[in-house]
Amino acid sequence: MPQTIFDDPDGTLSMLRDSAATLASRRPGPASLRAKRAGSADIDRDLWTSMAEAGWLGLLLPEDLGGAGLGLAEQAVLSEALGRALIAEPVGAGAVFASTLLRDAPASAERDRLAAGLASGELLVSPAWQDPSRHSHGAALKAMVDGDGFILTGDRHFVDGATSASDFLVVVDAGREALVVSVPAGRSGISVSEKAGVDGSAIGRVAFERCSVGANRVVARGPSIEALVENAVTNARIAIAAELAGIASKAVEMTIAYTKDRVQFGRPIASFQAVQHRLVEMWSDAEFACASVVNAVVKQSEGDDKAAHLAVLAAKARCGDAATSICRRAVHLHGAMGFTDEHDIGLYLKRAIALSATLGQPEAMRLEFVELEHAA
Amino acid sequence: MATDWNAMSDDDFRAAFRDLVERRLPAELRFMRKQRPLFDEVAVWYHALNEEGWLSPVWSVEYGGMGLNPAKHMIYVEEWGRLGCPRIPDHGLGLIGPLLLAFGTEEQKAYYLPKILSGEHVWCQGYSEPNSGSDLASLRTAAVRDGDHFVVNGQKIWTTLAHCANWIFALVRTSRDEKVRQKGITVLLIDMTTPGVKVRPIANLRGETDFCEVFFDNVRVPVENLVGEVDQGWNVAKSVLGHERIFLGAPTRPEIAMERLDKLARARGAFDDPAFRSRYAKHRLDLYDLGSAFERFAKVLREGGELGADVSLLKIFTTELYQRITEEMLLLAGEDARYFDDIEAGNGEVDAMNLFLDSRAPAIFGGSNEIQKNILAKAVLGLPS
Repeated sequence: MPQTIFDDPDGTLSMLRDSAATLASRRPGPASLRAKRAGSADIDRDLWTSMAEAGWLGLLLPEDLGGAGLGLAEQAVLSEALGRALIAEPVGAGAVFASTLLRDAPASAERDRLAAGLASGELLVSPAWQDPSRHSHGAALKAMVDGDGFILTGDRHFVDGATSASDFLVVVDAGREALVVSVPAGRSGISVSEKAGVDGSAIGRVAFERCSVGANRVVARGPSIEALVENAVTNARIAIAAELAGIASKAVEMTIAYTKDRVQFGRPIASFQAVQHRLVEMWSDAEFACASVVNAVVKQSEGDDKAAHLAVLAAKARCGDAATSICRRAVHLHGAMGFTDEHDIGLYLKRAIALSATLGQPEAMRLEFVELEHAA
Repeated sequence: MATDWNAMSDDDFRAAFRDLVERRLPAELRFMRKQRPLFDEVAVWYHALNEEGWLSPVWSVEYGGMGLNPAKHMIYVEEWGRLGCPRIPDHGLGLIGPLLLAFGTEEQKAYYLPKILSGEHVWCQGYSEPNSGSDLASLRTAAVRDGDHFVVNGQKIWTTLAHCANWIFALVRTSRDEKVRQKGITVLLIDMTTPGVKVRPIANLRGETDFCEVFFDNVRVPVENLVGEVDQGWNVAKSVLGHERIFLGAPTRPEIAMERLDKLARARGAFDDPAFRSRYAKHRLDLYDLGSAFERFAKVLREGGELGADVSLLKIFTTELYQRITEEMLLLAGEDARYFDDIEAGNGEVDAMNLFLDSRAPAIFGGSNEIQKNILAKAVLGLPS
C-alpha cells in the first residue's frame, strides 16, 4: 500500500515508522481527537509529552540545541506516520515551524532556552505569525520601538496551541525591519480566544494590546516577515504534505477493508467493478501523493533553490488534493456509516480538509508554482 | 570486440548516442510528424543503427544486441525521444526477438534474429480480433494440424503496420477448453507472403493508416514455425513486457503536448486569462507530479529491482493527462478548432488537432485503462472477484 520510499541505509526511517505505530497503538489518534474535541482542548498534553520524549518535536533541531539533529526525510516519514494514525496534533504548523525559526536564528540565550524547551516538551512554543485574513475582523500586528524593546499591538490568527502555549514565537513587522520575538503567554496585554477547528482542534487568535517586549526577547531580525519565515514555511509544508499523504494512504486502506467486508446482493461490494475502479483511482492518487513528498524532500538537498521551492509547492498541492478527495470518496464508499460521527473515516476527511487549508490551498500552490516557473 | 555499454558512465553513454544521431540520422527524419512511419520511410535510420551496433538495446550481445541493463535502456529510450528519432517498426526487436530468446529453439533464434537486425524480416503482431479485444483469450482464429502444417483460418485486426510487414507473430486457437479459455492458444510465426494471407489497411482518426486487418484463408504454416508448445501460447504472449512496462507510463506524450500548449497559450495571450491559468496550472502540476511518480519506479530499475503490477498506474495517468492537455488545446483554439490542419501560433504553427486525435489511442491500446484498473484491483489491492 502507498508509502513514501526513501533511501534508509541505517534503518532510522523504519525505526521511526515502528515507534510511531507503537505510540499510535498505545494512544489511538481518533480516541485522542474525540476527547480533545469534547473538552475543547487545543493540545493533548499527554500525547504531546510522549512525542517530546520520543524526540519527535525537536526532530529538526540540531543536537546542541537539544534536538535530534535529523533531516527532512525523517520528518516526512514521521509526519506521514502521524497522518496515518490520525494523531492530530500541531506538529507541522507548530513544532516544525517553530524549530525551523529557532534553528535559523542567531545564537542567544533566549533562542537556546526556547529550543531546548520545545524539544523536551517543557515549553510549548506556538508560532504566531499570520495576520488576520482579509475577510476576518482584526488588525495586522505592528511592533513599535520603545527604548531598547518593542510594543506590540494588533492580532495574530491561526495560532495552534494558543491556550496551552508557554511562549509565543511572534513574527512581526517593525517598520524598517521584521522581527522574531518571544512573548511569554502570561504577559499582560495579551488575550487569547479560540474557534473550533473542523478537525477537533482549537484554532487560536491572539490579540496584543500594547504588549511590551524587552530587547532580550528578540530572537531574530530580517528584512521582512516573508524572509524570516521562508524556511519555516517550507519545512512545515513538507511535514504537512507528508501528514496528508499518510492520511490519504490510510483512508484508502480503510475503504478497501470496509468494502471487502460489507456484503450486499450476496457479495462483498468490493467485488463490483464500479467500486473497484474507484478504489484503484484512490490508491493511485495516494501513490502520487507519496511520490510528490519524496520528490520535495530530495529536491531540498540538490542545491537548486528554485527547483526546491517548486517541489514543495507541488507536494503541498498534490497531497492536499489527494487526501481531501480520497477521503471524500472514502466517506461515500462507507455508505451511511461514513456519514456517522462514530466511524473514524469522517475524522480523516475533516483532518485532511484542515491540513490542506493550512499554509496554502492546492489551487494557490499551483498558481504560485506556474508563476515561479515562468519567472525567468 | 563488443563495447560493454553497461560499464560506461551515463554521461558517456548519452554522448555516444547523441554522436550517433548527429552522424547517421538524416535531418528530415528528426521530429517527424508521423507517429508510425513505414519501414521504407525510415529504413536508412534502421540500417544505420544496425551497422553501428545500436539497433537492439536489450537483446543479449551473443545475438547481436547491446545487452543493456534496465537503467541504461531507460537512458536509450529517453535520448531517443529527446533527440527526435523517428519510431522504427519495432515489433521484431521489442517483441518477437525477446520471445524467441525466451521460448524459441536454437534453430529459430539462428534463423530469425539476424533477419530482424538486417531488416529482411519486418514483423507485425497478430493478437486482437474483431470480437477479441480486451477479452483477448476469447480469440477464434483457428489453426488445425494437417501433416507437417497448420492450416490457419480467421481474422486479426488493429494489427499495427501489417501493411509494411512480411512476417506476423500470431496467436491462434488450437483447442478449446470451456473452463480455462487461456488454454488452447498457440503462437505461430507466419510468412505473410504465404497464399491466403490478405492485408487491408484501416484509416484512423488522424487520417493515417497505422493499423490493418489481416485475413487468413486456408494459410498453410509449417509446424516448425510454432513457438513454445501447442496450446501453451498464452504464457508466451503474456511474458513479453517485463521492465518495459515502465515505458508505457513515460511522460513523453504529455510533455510534447504541454510544450505545444505553452506555445499556443503564449501566442494567444492566454496566460492573461485567470480561468486559463487555473486550468493550465493543474495540467502543469499533473505533468510535474507524473515525473515524481515515474522516478519512484525508475529508481527501482536503476537499483536492480523488479517492477510489480503497480507500475501500470503510470500508464493510466500519462494517457489520461495526454488527453486533458490536448483537450485544453482545442478549447484554446476557439473557432480554429474547426481546422483539421495545424493552426497559427505566433511565428509558427501548432498541431492541436493532430495531437488531440492522437491522444485518443493510448488510453485504449496496450490494455485499455479500464482493463488496467481491473488488473490493479486484483493484483495490487487484492479485491475479490
